[in-house]
Amino acid sequence: MTAPRHISPEDLALHAMQALSPEESAAVRSHLAECTQCRDELASITGDLALVALTAEQEPLPAGARDRFIARLPVAVVSAAKSESSQVVSIATKRPNSASVWIPWLAVAALLVLSASLGFKVQRLQANLQSASEASAQQIAATARARQVLDVLSAPAAQHVLLTAAKTAPQPSGRAVYLADKGSLIFQGNNLAQLPEGKTYELWVIPANGSAPIPAGLFRPDATGNASVVLPSLPLGVPAKAFGVTIENAGGSTTPTAPIILAGAPPASGE
Amino acid sequence: MSESPTNPSAPFARSSDDVPQTDNSTTAARRDEQLIAEVRAKDQKAMCEIFDRYSTMVYSVALRVLKDPPQAEDVMQEIFLQVWNTPDRFAHGRGSLGAWLAVVARNRAIDLLRQRKPTESCDEVVLPARTNLASDVERNTIMDKVRVVLKNLPQEQQRSVELAFFEGLTHSEIAARTGDPLGTVKTRIRSALASLRKGIEA
Repeated sequence: MTAPRHISPEDLALHAMQALSPEESAAVRSHLAECTQCRDELASITGDLALVALTAEQEPLPAGARDRFIARLPVAVVSAAKSESSQVVSIATKRPNSASVWIPWLAVAALLVLSASLGFKVQRLQANLQSASEASAQQIAATARARQVLDVLSAPAAQHVLLTAAKTAPQPSGRAVYLADKGSLIFQGNNLAQLPEGKTYELWVIPANGSAPIPAGLFRPDATGNASVVLPSLPLGVPAKAFGVTIENAGGSTTPTAPIILAGAPPASGE
Repeated sequence: MSESPTNPSAPFARSSDDVPQTDNSTTAARRDEQLIAEVRAKDQKAMCEIFDRYSTMVYSVALRVLKDPPQAEDVMQEIFLQVWNTPDRFAHGRGSLGAWLAVVARNRAIDLLRQRKPTESCDEVVLPARTNLASDVERNTIMDKVRVVLKNLPQEQQRSVELAFFEGLTHSEIAARTGDPLGTVKTRIRSALASLRKGIEA
């Protein structure tokens, strides 16, 4: 057998650089097709040529070269578009699933909001109801008080007494309307002298039974000397023998202090 | 053309595994393969990553040959479009993607320079895996080294390899231009390539 005749490294280098004639290159290719050893050597030489290529000075790409390259990828664009389209479809097909996942939560959230809203409304209605109840109670109380006042003034049994000062004119005066059974008393004063600071007028009910006078309210006159005491807190069923007004220290007194400024007694017949 | 009876050159027996690779380069090499796989699946992002990694190098090689920026860009665009359209032309086992692109760029530019149809199929360009150019750092390091080695070569060797590689002259044309015997031109080119290889491995 004869030894295989390989291609010299010099010729392989020329072949790798396409520096052989077409006939010579054809012969090399024919040999390479059957010779692994020469193919390996050619690969090594080609690697050496790559090193030569690296000796070229690196130059920056022309402006826009990258964009021009990307623009020349129609398949890529189509592919990307298809990909995006498929993703859109995929996403679109997933949306119901996504929605189906979210719907219960959205429903819960909506119910929570609705519940909170209803709760708030209920709370507000309760507050309104309470306010209305309080207003109604106040109105009822006011109505009852007014009716009580009307009853005192219009009751046939009411005693109407005019209290007058005995000496000077214009005389201070007072009118008391008293309904003993209900312990209701209305007092109106006129021409009352102004009081120094720390002093107050005090109205007294003098019981018919001779017991101690009952305080019936504190009052100070206005600028015109008028004043009133309406429905002071009094015990029920205490017939009055007389009514009186004294000047007391602010805060009132449990016993009248002389002198008595106004005094009056109902007529014996109840007039 | 001459044939050697045994072709006992030492590089024949050398495996690409003989050249140590750093972990980074190995990682980058795997990344190249991964990018090619993604390009095969028409992943435009992967293609852009390959373009960003190697376009300057490819363009620079073509420009060095053609000395015309528009033509160099045309070459670069066609090469990367080829990678996009037929990524399987660069299959695993052909060496590093960067080195493969550099050689293909040179060959395409020479074809254009000579106004001829491409005479070389990319399928024929096979390289050892020792020149991994995927890492920017390693690529720059190799570039610096190889330029120093080339610069230190004897002037005749340097001139011969540049005329053959960047100007696409045949050995006969180089001999005619330099006035040297044909065998001498071949030897100078072969010696220059061997020196470059040795200089990189040093």
